Amino acid sequence: MEKKRVNAVVVGAGAGGGVAAKELSEAGLSVVLFERGGLVTHEDHGNDELTAQRSFPLACAFGPDNERYRRVYRDLQGNERVVLPNEWDYQNNAACVGSGTVCYGAMAWRFMEEDFKMKSTYGTVEGSTLEDWPISYEDLEPYYEKAEWEIGVAGDDSINPYAPWRRKPHPMPAFHHNREARILESAAKDLGYHPFSIPMLRNSVPYNGRRVCAHVRQCVGFACPVDAKNGTQNTVIPTAIETGNCELKIHCKVAELLTNDQGRLTGVSYFDENDQKQIQPADIIVLAASATETPRLMLNSTSKHFPNGIGNRYDWVGRNLQGHAYCGADGLFEHEVYTGEGPGASVAICDFNHHNEGYVGGAMLANEFIKLPYAYSSGYRPPGSARWGQEHKDFQKRYYRRNASIRGPVQEMPNYESRVQVSREVRDHWGIPVAKISGYKLDEDIQTAEFIADKAEKWLQAAGAVETWKSIPGKGVSGSQHQAGTCRMGDDPQTSVTNKYGQVHGVDNLFIADGSLHVTNGGFNPVLTIMALGYWVSDYIVKEWQHGNRF
Amino acid sequence: MTPDDLLNNVSRRTFLKISAIWTGGAWIVGIPGLSSQSYDVLTREEADIMDLLADCMVPPDDFAGGKEAGVTNFIDQQISRNGYLTEDRDLYKTCLPALNRTPLKEYKKHFLTLDRDARIEYLKKLERGFYDHSTAEEIWEPFIPSHFFAKMRDQCLMGFYGSPKHGGNNNYVSYRMIRF
Ligand SMILES: Cc1cc2nc3c(=O)[nH]c(=O)nc-3n(C[C@H](O)[C@H](O)[C@H](O)COP(=O)(O)OP(=O)(O)OC[C@H]3O[C@@H](n4cnc5c(N)ncnc54)[C@H](O)[C@@H]3O)c2cc1C
Repeated sequence: MEKKRVNAVVVGAGAGGGVAAKELSEAGLSVVLFERGGLVTHEDHGNDELTAQRSFPLACAFGPDNERYRRVYRDLQGNERVVLPNEWDYQNNAACVGSGTVCYGAMAWRFMEEDFKMKSTYGTVEGSTLEDWPISYEDLEPYYEKAEWEIGVAGDDSINPYAPWRRKPHPMPAFHHNREARILESAAKDLGYHPFSIPMLRNSVPYNGRRVCAHVRQCVGFACPVDAKNGTQNTVIPTAIETGNCELKIHCKVAELLTNDQGRLTGVSYFDENDQKQIQPADIIVLAASATETPRLMLNSTSKHFPNGIGNRYDWVGRNLQGHAYCGADGLFEHEVYTGEGPGASVAICDFNHHNEGYVGGAMLANEFIKLPYAYSSGYRPPGSARWGQEHKDFQKRYYRRNASIRGPVQEMPNYESRVQVSREVRDHWGIPVAKISGYKLDEDIQTAEFIADKAEKWLQAAGAVETWKSIPGKGVSGSQHQAGTCRMGDDPQTSVTNKYGQVHGVDNLFIADGSLHVTNGGFNPVLTIMALGYWVSDYIVKEWQHGNRF
Repeated sequence: MTPDDLLNNVSRRTFLKISAIWTGGAWIVGIPGLSSQSYDVLTREEADIMDLLADCMVPPDDFAGGKEAGVTNFIDQQISRNGYLTEDRDLYKTCLPALNRTPLKEYKKHFLTLDRDARIEYLKKLERGFYDHSTAEEIWEPFIPSHFFAKMRDQCLMGFYGSPKHGGNNNYVSYRMIRF
């Protein structure tokens, strides 16, 4: 059935899509915001580690479900297999209103100035499609500010000498450290590093009518029991709906972008909550379905004018998939460092994000979130340790409160072969070809990770750890929670998918506003940058719209 | 009381509710020393094998072992029709009896009757793939002994360390043990 035409369809109610829906509806455009998942609250899953969104051995509480969703994963040897959402190789983020922003760790990083000009900073890297962004930190700065104030961030950049410049401070004061972070903070200072409290999308004071953080242990991977974690589901999406201009359609799965005979985009088709196929006509479409699902939708939308998928004339859609080359170190202590004061991750340094002699890029380093009991039992021990039996149980008892870890998201060098394609054989519940993920990390990424892990290990040793060991990532492609880069922005239509406003080259009424746009993914968790881009792209659409441009 | 305490209280109450239903309905009287809970999917013998495995993965000491913590109940619930691991049902139904019989040739005993040291030695061999290509192979088919071991080990840890709402971690024993 064909629905009433609206000005804009936004596909995906996650980080970028939530922001776009709010900005467009506030400016008076009529908007339909599609989300394939539903509303997930703390009441739905409580403190259940086995279905939480961080290690999910039984299921993903924040979606998608194992019954209707599949992907194909191609490993380094070229073997392909079908993977379910709660397997690592599915590379899941989430699927619900707010997506990952409901259950994230809430680190709220601005990328640094260098992160927007990686090629100018590091030159050509063999085997990499490394490029500068078509926009600079300066362009995005006001939009970072908007994200911080509208969604809500606690932090204090004044103690981080590497923080990029800013016009306005964070809206809430920084969080204090728990015992573990205090120990690490003083060790970092001894080493001459510059530790500070991680900026967080959590309330350090009451904010926007919601409460202050309760420091629960089950934070990352869970919805907040006191609603003190700020995602799009409790900020911009409700605001969008309150304008009266935005309709949120949940459990609606967008299937395809529709074009007419002239090659103009006219709307989307979708399956509603009863699996009935519907058509939603729109003047413009904003894709914010995540760095895996946005390219999948574009590649699945073939037509006479777009035989290789929409926006894919030069075969860049789905390329340059990046997450982070996560690395770090773990350490065991003689005394207890654990206090149960959550969320755990608290102290960070940016001393090694850039300008590491002989390496490309780098990462911020931060202490790890509280490890939950099952996760701790299945990892976080020195290589060669017992994996079961009395020795394993003794380790659990002795070290649960006597360990600390430091991790860093090493910025990856993008490459053309790390990519999202659509499968020829495998389809999902609705008969739509699923995403196929393949690729690898470059040797440079692993080398940088080794360098950064070494710094993490030295930091733990300085803090008094009696035994330490490093964790270095494998060569496999990364995406998952930090997936980005698959529809990069750029000035040249032959080597990018959108222009600097997220407008798809050659398809004037199609925009992208999610992690797909990232040219490079910083040495930081990406969500604040994705939110800032949501504001940036929307601002362009609204200004043009108000000047009468109907794209 | 912080909201975290509050939540833990709520979960504790929920747990009490669950265990009341459970003790009210599912326990039957049996041979002293042997657990005699009835299960959805596992037979008595399979459950005994699973109990012993659970105690090998997490041995009892000052704190409950895998068996007392309800790991077998966790596995049984998860491989039942409404569980999260339904697809592993055949794996357990085939591999538990195979695991019990495999030591017959070498040790002249079933797994269930091996003494402690032999049991651990046998499981270590199983874990390392020693039986993957042995004559014992056919009773495991189509599964591979070391693959079963890896999955079983992981799922025992889930049952012991995961939320009691899934049927294991009785009385939050693992949380108390590590002082989470
Ligand atoms: C446990 C966890 C911890 C994290 N911690 C942090 C952190 O501390 N800091 C940080 O910066 N980032 C963190 N992240 C990552 C962060 O959540 C993501 O970077 C961010 O959500 C990505 O934004 P996006 O807009 O690109 O996509 P998403 O936010 O994933 O939004 C995409 C949405 O589109 C929907 N969708 C997809 N396809 C369709 C379709 N066909 N029809 C309808 N809807 C569709 C999806 O269901 C989803 O809701 C974390 C994520 C997780 C899961």
